[in-house]
Amino acid sequence: MTTNTYLIKEGYDNLNKHGSKTISTMLIICATMLILGIFIMILQNVNSNVKTLRLEQGLQAFIDDKATDEDISYMEDELWLVDGVSQIDYMTKAEAYEDAKNQFKGQDYFLEGLENLDIFPASFIVKFNNIEEADRIKTEVEKIDGIYKVKYNEDTINSVVSISKIANGFLLGVGIVLLVVSVFIISNTIKLAVYSNKREIFIMRYIGATNSFIVKPFIVEGAIMGLVSALISFVIISIVYIYIYAGLNNSLALGVFKLMPYSAMWYQILGAYIILGLFIGIFGSAVSLKKYLTA
Amino acid sequence: MIEFVNVVKKYEHDVTAIDNVNLKIDKGEFVFLVGPSGSGKSTFLRLLIKEDEPTSGKILVDGKDITRLKKKEIPFLRRKIGFVFQDFRLLYDRTVEENIIFALRVIEASEREIKSQLKSVLQMVGLNGKEKFYPNQLSGGEQQRVALARALATKPPILIADEPTGNLDPRTAEEIFKTLQEINARGTTILVVTHAKDIVDKMNKRVIALDHGKIIKDEARGVY
Repeated sequence: MTTNTYLIKEGYDNLNKHGSKTISTMLIICATMLILGIFIMILQNVNSNVKTLRLEQGLQAFIDDKATDEDISYMEDELWLVDGVSQIDYMTKAEAYEDAKNQFKGQDYFLEGLENLDIFPASFIVKFNNIEEADRIKTEVEKIDGIYKVKYNEDTINSVVSISKIANGFLLGVGIVLLVVSVFIISNTIKLAVYSNKREIFIMRYIGATNSFIVKPFIVEGAIMGLVSALISFVIISIVYIYIYAGLNNSLALGVFKLMPYSAMWYQILGAYIILGLFIGIFGSAVSLKKYLTA
Repeated sequence: MIEFVNVVKKYEHDVTAIDNVNLKIDKGEFVFLVGPSGSGKSTFLRLLIKEDEPTSGKILVDGKDITRLKKKEIPFLRRKIGFVFQDFRLLYDRTVEENIIFALRVIEASEREIKSQLKSVLQMVGLNGKEKFYPNQLSGGEQQRVALARALATKPPILIADEPTGNLDPRTAEEIFKTLQEINARGTTILVVTHAKDIVDKMNKRVIALDHGKIIKDEARGVY
């Protein structure tokens, strides 16, 4: 058995030795991780919807009725020259009429007979990657000859962006609080473990143990607690999410909000949990061991 | 092997525990350190394993001034000094052999070393056949032998025994001292702090007496 194997085994034995304390600590860590996980999932869904919205939303530049095909081609060239533009779709008058019909589905009787009247203007749907550039792009598009009006859904975009910002900030706040709580709980457990191993540590010091030799089993103990808590939390939250997804995704209660499929997010949650579990375990142990590192 | 040069140790409120001590213990010597309670014996030992810093002076162990050691070098100093306590300080949830292996793990010995040292020290202290026993299944004298075996397992050139027979009956105490003498005969420098007057007088070894932190007697073949 190498020294490292021995130290890992000692850490594992410590967990067994402090059985009930280990279990209660892991339960609390699981609870905090689950809360955190719920927030991460909500945030991922909000962010994914915002992203979709950002991609889907563009601005609509209406073309003057008098514009010739040549003018339209010139306008398209000009549009491509605007910095930040990622996609341009041309919408003919007929397509505009169809679009209106789609928007008033079920009530489109009042549009009947209008298709030949040519009242819906042709337009360009201009898309861009960065929503924050919308205002600048809008101003530049307005300057192009032959475009008489530019419309984009400022209010929706701005409110979604601010909701997403608030959600991100909230998650960060909750995350920090839960992290501090978890580190505190682990460090407390390790402190008790150190206390109950006082005799061993005393003897080790006299024999000539290095600090890292003394500390490693406790770090391993903390890391195992963090990691096992992470895996348990992952299994629970995955089951819950799969059920919610199955029950809610096609329900009208969510409106335009689309839930991300589990397959698109499980690895992010697992990764975050593992990193978090190890961090809480290792950092929590290290905090409580600091004062025992005096020679 | 051990040298104290003008060593002074003062605690708060100007309490002097070690008062300008100069002494030299050569390799392979067997030395008794005696003196009443509060004479500075414990401080002397604490300074030797660098659990405490002298206020002034130099302490050399194996030619190296330990007052200049960096923190991370301290464990390696302690590996040169085996320590035996009055109350044995054994791990009661581990067997005799596990207690000894524990020490070898601490110094990160290889599997091969662990195997050979375990056999060697068990024989040295006369505990062959008791390796699977738990300390509570052994007599006081046997427990002290386990402590001795643990201290010797790491092959330290110096062995310090702090009141090793304080908890033992005179006959068992005598046996422990006999074992210490055998260990000394193999070349280990031994420093024993003791109140066992009869044994000190009988063994005819070097005796250093401390009182109020000063050396009041240092005789090559002394008595208590």
